[in-house]
Amino acid sequence: MSLLALAPMLAVLLTGTAALLVRGWPRLQRGVSVLGTLGYAGAVGSLCWQVVSGGAVVYQVGGWRAPFGITLVADALSAFMLALTAIVAVYAVVFSVRFIDDRNQRVYYHPMFQFLLLGATGALLTGDLFNLFVWFEVMLMASYVFVAFYGNAQHTAAAVRYVVLNIIGGVLMLLGIGGLYATTGTLNMADMARVLADPGGVTGAVVGLSALIFVTFALKAGLVPFQFWVPSAYRAAPLPVVAVFAGATKKVGIYAIIRLYFTVFGNADLSVAVPGADAGSSIGFLAPVLVLMGVASILVGGLGAVTRDSLDELFAYSSIGQIGFIAVPIGIAAASTGSLRHLGVLAALVFAFHHAVTKGLLFLSTGVIRDAVGTTRLSRLGGLADSSPAFASVMLVGGLSLVGIPPLAGFFGKLFVFDAASRRFAVAAAGTETTAGAAAILLVLVVGAVLTILYSTRAWMGAFWGGQTEAVVRGRIDPVEVALLSTFAAVVLASGVGFEPIVQFADAAADAALDTDGYVDLVLGGERS
Amino acid sequence: MSLALAATVGVLFAFGTFLLLRDDLVKVVWGLAILSQAANVYLISMGGITEPTGDTVPVLAEYYAPFPETADPVVQALVLTAIVISFGMTAFALALSYRAYQENETIDVTEWPQ
Amino acid sequence: MTTVITRTTARIVVPIILVVAVSLFLQGHSLPGGGFIGGVLTVAAFTLVYVAYNLDYLEAGVLDREVDYDRHIGQHRTVAAYRRLFVFGLAVVVGSAVAGLFVGSPFLAQTYTYVHLPLFGEIELASAVVFDLGIYCVVVGGLLTIFSVVGAE
Repeated sequence: MSLLALAPMLAVLLTGTAALLVRGWPRLQRGVSVLGTLGYAGAVGSLCWQVVSGGAVVYQVGGWRAPFGITLVADALSAFMLALTAIVAVYAVVFSVRFIDDRNQRVYYHPMFQFLLLGATGALLTGDLFNLFVWFEVMLMASYVFVAFYGNAQHTAAAVRYVVLNIIGGVLMLLGIGGLYATTGTLNMADMARVLADPGGVTGAVVGLSALIFVTFALKAGLVPFQFWVPSAYRAAPLPVVAVFAGATKKVGIYAIIRLYFTVFGNADLSVAVPGADAGSSIGFLAPVLVLMGVASILVGGLGAVTRDSLDELFAYSSIGQIGFIAVPIGIAAASTGSLRHLGVLAALVFAFHHAVTKGLLFLSTGVIRDAVGTTRLSRLGGLADSSPAFASVMLVGGLSLVGIPPLAGFFGKLFVFDAASRRFAVAAAGTETTAGAAAILLVLVVGAVLTILYSTRAWMGAFWGGQTEAVVRGRIDPVEVALLSTFAAVVLASGVGFEPIVQFADAAADAALDTDGYVDLVLGGERS
Repeated sequence: MSLALAATVGVLFAFGTFLLLRDDLVKVVWGLAILSQAANVYLISMGGITEPTGDTVPVLAEYYAPFPETADPVVQALVLTAIVISFGMTAFALALSYRAYQENETIDVTEWPQ
Repeated sequence: MTTVITRTTARIVVPIILVVAVSLFLQGHSLPGGGFIGGVLTVAAFTLVYVAYNLDYLEAGVLDREVDYDRHIGQHRTVAAYRRLFVFGLAVVVGSAVAGLFVGSPFLAQTYTYVHLPLFGEIELASAVVFDLGIYCVVVGGLLTIFSVVGAE
């Protein structure tokens, strides 16, 4: 029972309310929002410190003990995801103060930003399946407002599509949750894990029901074939919020997949024989689904990004592809047992960290360009490197990290993903089964990496090299924004150079994700019967 | 009883899906509202009425031994929450579709910009 | 819709709805009811007034204030009041959720006590009512803002 598990949620909740209360004083509101987000980062930081040094913490909301009440569980996996959310959130909110014009900020920008964070934080911390649904809806409500934020024809059309899609997703998730409650008799994730681990228990319908929930998670993560909302929504929302969408809220979908399948279903005997998966893996059925979706995401995202003309669309497609790079190792982990499963989850987490900071930096940099030039169309950009060499180097760090050049964060992300894929290949080759599947995964990963190099180069050369276009000559790059982003670039650089602590943290997170017994003990404690 | 519930859920889902596939935005929003209601009815039917014991009715455990037949309170709490959420979502969707209609000057979603 | 029949019905029905709303709100912590449903019913009563009369009737007819008909609905005093009610409600909700932390109870913890009042006898005072009051204000403020603004268009 530690208040630390509650602290991040409390920080955003109080900040959001305070920002609404002082909405008559725009400057004060901005101050509250920035300070509150810094406070949030501080709370997340101390929570991470506690989790790493002293072990996971649990908070029973309202004093109702699990499994009856709602439990907040902050184990290493939650803390890891919270940490990357906090990094992106701090930069996004400070950048918004400069980037969003005053009149728009005065509306409900800052309170909504805090509620977006609140939804993400709640979803990462909660230990209750239905509560997860509620936090998803909180997160979505705020994101609807942001997609419709600028409110012209294109934005409202994108928002309507986004809303319709996500309400359907919410309905499907409710169906899955209701079914799981009917079969297991509980909504607490730890209690559900305990019930499912009981041999001879009812597990038949669980696979199908979880598929309904999985669809919603995949929709949040933007995996193919649920990716089509991503480009239009990302083009419509304000760019600092897009940084949070790509950096944090998509990762909540990934987190939920890992939590539900690896932690909750980890010990269940959901005997569904799947070709290509180890016999010992209880969630082998997830592997082909996730790998196929991941592979398709890599191809669709990569090919889409290569052909787009505007930078924000290019990065939107790129983040579809990069989510594929996260999904594939999770699929490999689902097919495997033992150390390879651990490696798969670790690879996904490391890549998620890399993608959050890198894509956050790139979307904010796109914001700088839109602020200065007024457009992000590559055909109307050129020669930005001459206008501001400092900004060019910031964006170069982001681009190189996306490509995966050592010693940047992206290199380690790709390294772990390829490591997991090649070990899967080795396992398949050692066994009697065919190696075609594992080889195809490796091939697509290589193709995806090549596509990443292609579109990153294209974005870089189109915007920064060549002669200055008329729009670029007239534009002025805001030095304050560049100064802010250069510290973000330093974070990306530092997280690559000093990679050891991050990989240790991710390692602890992967341990926590796979340790079903530990999770059950942590939440239910002495109450376990 | 469960057959009636199942039929209701089925009809609601069929009707909601049908409306959802129309190109008139107002009908789409109606479809969403009906789908949400279908999910709520489904949630209620997931609880059922259980054989009463001291464990299922902890509030009454100290009072008297022959427990009355009880409906599962958890699903009702879930449905309450789900109703509130779908209520808010529908209100937002309606306001948004009005705005989208103003901006795009048509409620035919197939004529909107990509 | 502003026919004589609607107006007469509204005159009779609105007070009844409001009383039911208040009773549902007050019993919410231990019986069916609560802030949300009480709030929705209150909104229903207000909406009925809006439908039977018009958007400015509350301000001009009931509160007897000057109404500036040319202003955009977003700047109307009633709408501003609804917004304030929404924010106030949210603050009450958060405040009552956090209050427990200051006395050493968990987040969102609730308690209750019995007081003896003359005439009423023994009545239950639950801290959950404060939370419900916040919800009530959020629902009433939020929904009426939406209805007035969208309705005015």
